[in-house]
Amino acid sequence: MTEDHIVFIVDDDHRICEALSELLSSHGIRAKVFESAGDYIGFEKPDVPACLILDVELPDINGLDLQRQIAEGDHPPIVFITGHGDIPSTVRAIKRGAVDFLTKPFSDAHLMAAIQTALEQDRKSRADRADLNAVRRRYLELTQREREVLPLVVSGLLNKQAAAELGISEVTVEIHRRNVMQKMAAASFADLVRLAERLEIPITHSRRTGGSGS
Amino acid sequence: MRVWSDRPELLHLAIFFAAYVLGCGFAQALAIIPETGISIWLPSGLFIATLALASRRSWPQWVVAGLLAELVGNVLWFHNPLPVALLIFAGNALEAVVGAWLVTRFGRPVRLDSLPEVLALMVLGAGIAPIVGATVASATLAWFDMQSFSAAWPLFWLGNASGVLIAAPLALALFQDWRSGTALSEPRWLEAAAIGLILLGAAVLSLSAYLPFAYLIMPPLLWAAVRFEFRGAAVSLALIAIIAAVFTISGDSQFAGEPGSQTLKQIMLHLFLAVSAISAVIVAAISRQHQAALFALSERERELSQLVDLLPAYIRRLTPEGRPFFFNKRLTDYIGASLEEINAIDGDRLEPAVKDYVHPDEAGDVEAAIRSAVATGQAYSLKYRMRGIDGVYRWIETRAEPLRNQDGTIAQWYSVSIDIDEQVRLYRELEEREGKIRRLIDSDIIGIVFWDLDGRILEANDAFLRMVQYEREDLRAGLRWFDMSPPEWQEKHARYEAEELMATGKMQAREKEFFRKDGSRVPVLIGAACFEGQSTQGVAYILDLTARRQAEAALSERERFLWQVVETLPVMVDCAAPDGEPIYRNQQLREFLGYDLEALDGTGKSRLAGTLDAGVHPDDLEGVKTNYAHSLATGEPYARRHRLRRFDGEYRWVETRAAPMYDPKGETVQWNVICLDIDGEVQTQEKLRLAQERLSRASQAASLAELSASIAHEVNQPLAAIVANSHACHRWLMDSPPNLARAKVTAERIIRDANSAADVVSRIRALFKRSTATRSPTELGSVVAEGLGLMADEVVRLRVRIDTDIESDLPLVSIDRVQILQVLVNLMRNGIEAMDVTKGAGVLGLRVRLMGDTIQTEISDRGPGIAFPEKIFEPFFTTKEHGMGMGLAVCRSIVEAHDGRLWAERNEPHGATFIFTLPAEAKAAK
Repeated sequence: MTEDHIVFIVDDDHRICEALSELLSSHGIRAKVFESAGDYIGFEKPDVPACLILDVELPDINGLDLQRQIAEGDHPPIVFITGHGDIPSTVRAIKRGAVDFLTKPFSDAHLMAAIQTALEQDRKSRADRADLNAVRRRYLELTQREREVLPLVVSGLLNKQAAAELGISEVTVEIHRRNVMQKMAAASFADLVRLAERLEIPITHSRRTGGSGS
Repeated sequence: MRVWSDRPELLHLAIFFAAYVLGCGFAQALAIIPETGISIWLPSGLFIATLALASRRSWPQWVVAGLLAELVGNVLWFHNPLPVALLIFAGNALEAVVGAWLVTRFGRPVRLDSLPEVLALMVLGAGIAPIVGATVASATLAWFDMQSFSAAWPLFWLGNASGVLIAAPLALALFQDWRSGTALSEPRWLEAAAIGLILLGAAVLSLSAYLPFAYLIMPPLLWAAVRFEFRGAAVSLALIAIIAAVFTISGDSQFAGEPGSQTLKQIMLHLFLAVSAISAVIVAAISRQHQAALFALSERERELSQLVDLLPAYIRRLTPEGRPFFFNKRLTDYIGASLEEINAIDGDRLEPAVKDYVHPDEAGDVEAAIRSAVATGQAYSLKYRMRGIDGVYRWIETRAEPLRNQDGTIAQWYSVSIDIDEQVRLYRELEEREGKIRRLIDSDIIGIVFWDLDGRILEANDAFLRMVQYEREDLRAGLRWFDMSPPEWQEKHARYEAEELMATGKMQAREKEFFRKDGSRVPVLIGAACFEGQSTQGVAYILDLTARRQAEAALSERERFLWQVVETLPVMVDCAAPDGEPIYRNQQLREFLGYDLEALDGTGKSRLAGTLDAGVHPDDLEGVKTNYAHSLATGEPYARRHRLRRFDGEYRWVETRAAPMYDPKGETVQWNVICLDIDGEVQTQEKLRLAQERLSRASQAASLAELSASIAHEVNQPLAAIVANSHACHRWLMDSPPNLARAKVTAERIIRDANSAADVVSRIRALFKRSTATRSPTELGSVVAEGLGLMADEVVRLRVRIDTDIESDLPLVSIDRVQILQVLVNLMRNGIEAMDVTKGAGVLGLRVRLMGDTIQTEISDRGPGIAFPEKIFEPFFTTKEHGMGMGLAVCRSIVEAHDGRLWAERNEPHGATFIFTLPAEAKAAK
């Protein structure tokens, strides 16, 4: 595990923090411990794949509440640890996207598996996020007219139809379409459709008259 | 008079005899006419007067006495032959008898005090009777040829008549006035003497001179007759007769003369004497009559005056101007002042007199009335109070009327006052009494009706009318009580009441009803009585009983209600006499026991003993009896649970409570006992107890679960650390080369954490070891002291000061001493450890005080304070790196199990206070 990644540990019991930090260290994983949620939130996190091991019972805020608070932004996948796990809390945590919910004392293997899963998940989501950002950048390079043409063509309208829609000539539509393909680095029309989808460009028209989209 | 009784006294006969003889002598002396012895025959007057006064039965004796006297006269002077003398006497006697008989026909006794009597004497005695004597005597003389009848008769008649006229009045006067004659006063004697002298002088002058002069005697004679009446006339006549006789005999008289004129002279003398006698006697009679009339008048006036004084009235006479000139004696006696005294005042006497004698309240009216009456001449009548001599005012009624002259002017005023004080007083009393009765009638308290047996209401007061809601107009229109009586009462009245009233005059008070005007009935209490002496009318007294009836109805309704309450209360009620003997049992108890109270009688045992023996469970019987006996003896309320046999034989748990009921004097009147079937409750309680036991176990389990959570937390923390460290250690050792240094560190951490876990377990065990101990009343102060003792080493080590403030005389608290001790120690240690963090400011406050009915213990520190005052009591919450973080939850459990509360507060400026309360049990024993 030479990959650059980090594990955040939040637990009010310093013995746990100490032990987990030691254990991860023995596994060659960098760990950063926090004894309260506030400390964790205020920490400037490095832009590397990460994982959060979060104790449910914290002195300032409940771990589950913390999960809800940070759900808005991009945050590392969470592995909950608790002194006494109960099913409702577990279900809630998992539903909100927790990777695992471990009851103290937990085994090395369980913990490590959860951490690996979490890191993998984070690595993947980080890659996705990077991809999407590139597409967005390209989309922003489109002209106004090209941005108007894009949703029409990805909706499956014929050039002729799109031209009629926009009140321009069919040839012009064809030019805009080629530019869009080029700017968006779309290898094919199908690729363009996929990109548009990722950008969540709405499909406003259907080739079938009167249809409300598929 | 005894003198003139049937049998005359000898003395009287003798005097008569003597006078008769003297009369004979007098006649002989005057018999101056030659050849005849006939002259003034005084015995005839004496004889007639004597017989007229004597009783007729005695007449013979007087006649015999006269005969003897005349015979003596005959022997002495007349010398007539005896037959002649006897015959003449017979004539004289006959004359006297006839004369007396005639005179006395006009009334006896012959008093000659009236003119008719005098005239009767003169006409009958002196005129007619001598006819008899003269006839007999003249006939006798003629018979014996001594004188001729015609010559003798006039002389005889005249002589006899003169004798009667002179002698009869004298004799009558002498006889009658001899004893009854009143003594004359000195002036009268002088007057009598003067008259006598004048008479003598006149007689001497008149009789000795020329005949017409003879009548000079008349004025003194008449004077004597007027002044001395009959006596004067008689005496004067006698004197004149004697003087005339003397002069005649002596020849000096004008009646004496030569023999030729002797007869005429004699006749003249007789006539003179007769005229004198007639005049004198008539004048005397008139005088007497006048005197008698005057006397009668004065007598009447005296009587009247007496009458006036006797009248029970005050009488005044006043002049037309209103000045009094007569007061009757009663008046002067009453006011104590005489008329003269009143009239002594000068000027207007009315005002001072009124002021003096009339009550100030009426003085004005009286004065005004009198002045008005005097001014107008109108009669007036007044009632006022007049002051008597004793200063007391008495009511009088005065009526004054004017007596008018014929011309209509007022002659005088008569004023009569009658003492009406008694009447006024009586009237006042009557008025007062009537006022009282009127008040009774007018009072609204009682209805009063005057009724008659015909069913009418003669009069009724407002109270009655209001009672029956009639108006006074209805009464005037002829309201009938009979019609107001409901039919059943009409019948009762006809049957009984009328009879009772008739028989006894009363009707005993009774309750009945009347119809009101609107037809509704009003209950009344009525009593009646007949008016005195009347059996068909009377008065009735009526009281409206509506309110009382309503009250009675309400009372009985209440009683019925209470009875129903007692009978239907879902408890068994028993009332017992002060000695415990049951006297009443309600339906519930009767039904429970299945027998009535009376069933216990006649068993030889008391009702109480019978009930207890029959009903109470044998196991409870002795205790019940003991308790009963104790309560009955001391009056203390009784309360006990025991089993009581139901009618079906089942013993059921009952709770019996009894309390004495006292009268106002504090004596026990009865015992009121309630008995509650609590069998169900006892069963329920038993079930409840079991449930509670289970619950208790459950709650223990719950707290154990909680505890186990805490324990889990407390133990899992180090365990988790141990596991992680173990893995780390293992990995360091498995490394190549093995990282021994880090392995060693991790191994040491493993040991530390494992010890920590073991420590937790042991301390938890210690904490709950005594959790099942029973609680007992404990003095909290001693627990605190023990806690301080336990903490002493730690306190010294950490250089903490403990300020204690423990109230004295705190009530006891019922606690598990060990648990509370643990709470205390735990909280103290928390506080000390909190301050341990801050280093140096080690002051722990410990305060125990009574707050109402709880004892509050406060442990305050000067540590950093607490961020979450409630959260810290949650089982998994801890802020500490070491020690027993879970303790506060357990502390709260313990305190709450003791019905207390545990909470935390922030201190200003820093620190925290942990407070727990425990309910106080009772005031500490001193």
